[in-house]
Amino acid sequence: MRTEDLIERLAREEESAVSVRSGVVAAWTPAFLATLVIMLVGWGLRSGLGLALADPLVLAKIALPMLAAAMALAGGLELSRPEGHATRALPGLGALGVAWLGLLTLDLAITPPETWDEALRGQTRLACLLSILALAVLPTAALLAALRRGASPRPALSGALAGLAGGAGAAAIYAFHCPEDAPLFYVTWYGTGIVIASAAGAVLGSRWLRW
Amino acid sequence: MMRDTESDWAALLRAAKAGDGRAYARFLREVAPVLRGIVRARGQALPVHHHEDIVQEVLLAIHAKRHTWDAGRPLRPWLFAIARHKVADAFRARGARLHLDIADRAEVLPAEPGPDPDAARDAARLLGRLDPRAAEIVRSAHLHDEAPAEIGRRLSMSEGAVRVALHRALKRLGAMTQGSPR
Repeated sequence: MRTEDLIERLAREEESAVSVRSGVVAAWTPAFLATLVIMLVGWGLRSGLGLALADPLVLAKIALPMLAAAMALAGGLELSRPEGHATRALPGLGALGVAWLGLLTLDLAITPPETWDEALRGQTRLACLLSILALAVLPTAALLAALRRGASPRPALSGALAGLAGGAGAAAIYAFHCPEDAPLFYVTWYGTGIVIASAAGAVLGSRWLRW
Repeated sequence: MMRDTESDWAALLRAAKAGDGRAYARFLREVAPVLRGIVRARGQALPVHHHEDIVQEVLLAIHAKRHTWDAGRPLRPWLFAIARHKVADAFRARGARLHLDIADRAEVLPAEPGPDPDAARDAARLLGRLDPRAAEIVRSAHLHDEAPAEIGRRLSMSEGAVRVALHRALKRLGAMTQGSPR
């Protein structure tokens, strides 16, 4: 085909006016709310939630993942443009990761060494990990689907950010159910769930977000 | 021709976004020669008739991803990011295929595929001495002209693993035809 003919043909096609940003918002919001409802119905709120939230260490287990999800979303949007730069999203997420591990160090300092093991294992570690992974599926999938319309210069990284947003969002939601308040526990197991979700997102992204 | 392509092109694409097909055609028409220049500068190792194909692939990518341009942002960085991405892509794909063509003649079918009815059987016999998966990869890549990415998808291997396996299989076949079967 001659290039001129191609141009003529392309010029006759309708433009799809929806931006990637509004597509991402339209996919993420219902997926996140549905996941919240699924948790409330399937898992239920923890008892004494109001009281527990007065403890900054409990607040942190909701707030930090929520913040991470928001930053990963912003990073995913930045990287949905072909000229986008990962460097804008990554320092903030890195700082958040340091703060997250800081909670762990803090807990190690205030917990007697002989109970570290017990605190780390808690009562519900497997349920916690599996719940977070299960709750991460819907928001991660919705985000990946929305990002396919974008043009990422780094598809695997975009996928990882989608998995991070989904995993961290799921962890924040699960924190409303989870009765384990020791940072040793939640930094470890929430963190593991979020890392697994991000890795899965990276693998999927390297396939689905290529263009 | 010292014109401000940034604001010219941005105005054209903004009009295109508002539904002006003529402005869009003009935008693509003005961008095409610039792309051609990029492809020509990079593509000296490639036959010229591939160049225009690559130009068209980049134009198609610009078209498919035109909604990722935010009218409030500079246009040229966006445009050249797409061009860079797709040109690199196109060269990777063709570079590999060209390389395979050469390997094909040099190693797999040392004889011209002329009237000799045994040639195909010889090839089959040689392939039979490879392990089944390697034989399948060579058959797909050279007799059926499948791209490594496709073969990988079918055999659930990564594209890189297919390339490596193909390379090894060809080396082994080369060794066989030189009378040192292993």
